[in-house]
Amino acid sequence: MSILAYNGGAIIAMKGKNCVAIAADRRFGVQAQTISCDFDKIFEMGPHLYLGLPGLATDTITVMERLRFRLNLYELKEDRKIHPKTFSSMISNLLYEKRFGPYFVEPIVAGLDPVTFEPFVCNMDLIGCPNEPEDFVVGGTCTEQLYGMCEVLYEPNLEPDDLFETVSQALVNACDRDAISGWGAIVYIIEKDKVTIRHLKTRMD
Amino acid sequence: MALLGGYSAGSFPDYEVQGAKKVHFSPYADNGGSVMAIAGEDYAIIAADSRLSTGFSIFTREQQKLFPLSNTTVLGCSGCWCDTLTLTRILQARMQMYKHEHHKELTTPATAQMLSTMLYYKRFFPYYISNILAGLDENGKGCVYSYDPIGHCERSNFRAGGSAGALLQPLLDNQIGYQNQEGVDKTPLPQDRALAILKDVFISAAERDIYTGDGIFINIITKDGIKADKFDLRKD
Amino acid sequence: MALAEVCGVNSYLDFNLPRNNDNFQGEIEAYSKNFSNNLNLAMPPFANPAENLSRFSTDENGRKLKINFDHGTTTLGFRYKGGVVLAVDSRATGGQFIGSQSMKKIVEINDYLLGTLAGGAADCVYWDRVLAKQCRMYELRNRERISVAAASKLMSNMVYNYKGMGLSMGMMIAGWDKRGPGLYYVDSEGTRTAGQVFSVGSGSVYAFGVLDSGYHWDLTDEEAYELGRRSIYHATHRDAYSGGIIRVYHMKSTGWVHISDEDCKDLHYKYQEDKEKLRNVRQ
Repeated sequence: MSILAYNGGAIIAMKGKNCVAIAADRRFGVQAQTISCDFDKIFEMGPHLYLGLPGLATDTITVMERLRFRLNLYELKEDRKIHPKTFSSMISNLLYEKRFGPYFVEPIVAGLDPVTFEPFVCNMDLIGCPNEPEDFVVGGTCTEQLYGMCEVLYEPNLEPDDLFETVSQALVNACDRDAISGWGAIVYIIEKDKVTIRHLKTRMD
Repeated sequence: MALLGGYSAGSFPDYEVQGAKKVHFSPYADNGGSVMAIAGEDYAIIAADSRLSTGFSIFTREQQKLFPLSNTTVLGCSGCWCDTLTLTRILQARMQMYKHEHHKELTTPATAQMLSTMLYYKRFFPYYISNILAGLDENGKGCVYSYDPIGHCERSNFRAGGSAGALLQPLLDNQIGYQNQEGVDKTPLPQDRALAILKDVFISAAERDIYTGDGIFINIITKDGIKADKFDLRKD
Repeated sequence: MALAEVCGVNSYLDFNLPRNNDNFQGEIEAYSKNFSNNLNLAMPPFANPAENLSRFSTDENGRKLKINFDHGTTTLGFRYKGGVVLAVDSRATGGQFIGSQSMKKIVEINDYLLGTLAGGAADCVYWDRVLAKQCRMYELRNRERISVAAASKLMSNMVYNYKGMGLSMGMMIAGWDKRGPGLYYVDSEGTRTAGQVFSVGSGSVYAFGVLDSGYHWDLTDEEAYELGRRSIYHATHRDAYSGGIIRVYHMKSTGWVHISDEDCKDLHYKYQEDKEKLRNVRQ
């Protein structure tokens, strides 16, 4: 079994009309055993910037801490909020430094441009190859299921409420076909003037 | 000794001798492909994509992967194509033997059980096929049977299998099984909607799965027989 | 020969010609020998399939084949004063993909015999079906029902022939015979043992935790069902490879009764609510 599937977990991010959504399951497990159902895989990195780190849980935490450190330095030095695209480059850079002994995480970035409030989503592999599609990105242990769901459910320019519904349905139904993801879900809808956090009621097996 | 006299010790001609070499043989091939079936009140629809591939190359873009076994039963296969050919040949022969012995056709549930037994026969060197069997049961109701490679069989109302099985199945759970939807009336699925979902879902699968594409062959099974249909997918 | 001429059959055509030269003779039978003898499975063209089959898990391009058999389970069974209770989940996983959430893991062998299945789904279902046939044959031959001990021994002997070949099954056989309620554990390694309380499968450790703390001989029927259900529920919650629907069966002197099929999701939120209520009462 891949080390990326040691703890389990799934994350999805999707663009809407002037908004962006990022959602994750809440499981922290060790192979078949579920240890807790309130593990955070999505982190707030700025007022409109969120980072999802599916993969090996220990690296999730390490990478988040190291990124936060670099981000703080950047923002102190530049005295402005970071652009999501710049932040993605920063992650990519951090991951490639460990090209031959990588962190086992496949980061997902979702956010709004601090100036224009353009939606932005991006994902990358564990050594930092970035991918910035027009619609959605997925990561974690059930990417196949998530891609299948998203391909059908996604429409461009969804309003925040519709985006929430689409993202939730995609995540929950994909997790229901994956043994090591699920056990609750959390959805962030990021808009210009507010961020809504919702917890989903899901299957707990 | 006279014969060898020409060569003094240590001066035999040097022939290149190859050491023992172990060659690995892989009896299985993955020829890709996806199959999907939906059962309704009085019909069953089964569809398979028409791409036959190996690795990154395509053998053909129009391979029929649906095998009508009787007037009410169709089998869809994906996986190792050579195994598929053998399995379906034996299955068709068995169907014929039954017909001639009993003067009637094997029902779909009975065919399903027979297939399971045939797959299990090769328990220790399995057929590498993901099978989906669709048809009408004794009461004329649609039914779908899905299998693992060694013949574990389960009846359901909708099922996707093959290379894009994992992409398609959660979507069917959601759209046809109404999983995680609250306050919807769970009316039986009409045939035209089933067909629409099926096409939609295959289009999406072709977007993300490189082993699925080119087109789909569709068989619609009703009490009036099997109606064949075709639908194009992206060809890249 | 007039008729033959009318029909256009040549006189030299011999319908009784021995078909020795037919290369494909008996081929159809050869590919389905287990139809005539259920115990006869095809032998692989290599030794030690348990280990060597996994070497074929890539295709000629070296791509990993998705040859995953359905697996994973929590099942339990216990004897108490009212008979035997069996409880199982319904999830079948191939690798980490959930193949099915509605599998039937209790096989109704006959009115007085039930088998639970854990491990390889196809293995268990096939051999349970063979067992069902043999039990029926026994009834017809001996004009009485087969005992649980005999049925479980038939099963254990059958699978013992394939020991070391890679079969994977751990099953409980529950029944009611002349000696009263019976519960046996049989597995593909050849173990066969009678007992009071069993739990089998990947989630069994979690199920045992609940089961052992709540079990005693004098449970009422309702208590027994709830104990079985709750044990399986806790296992599905903690074990990734268990889940779906929780099925409970009761083996009585009059045969088996199907008690309930409940969705894990509904059960979870019901138990959660009960816990909240209890907490409010205490405060």
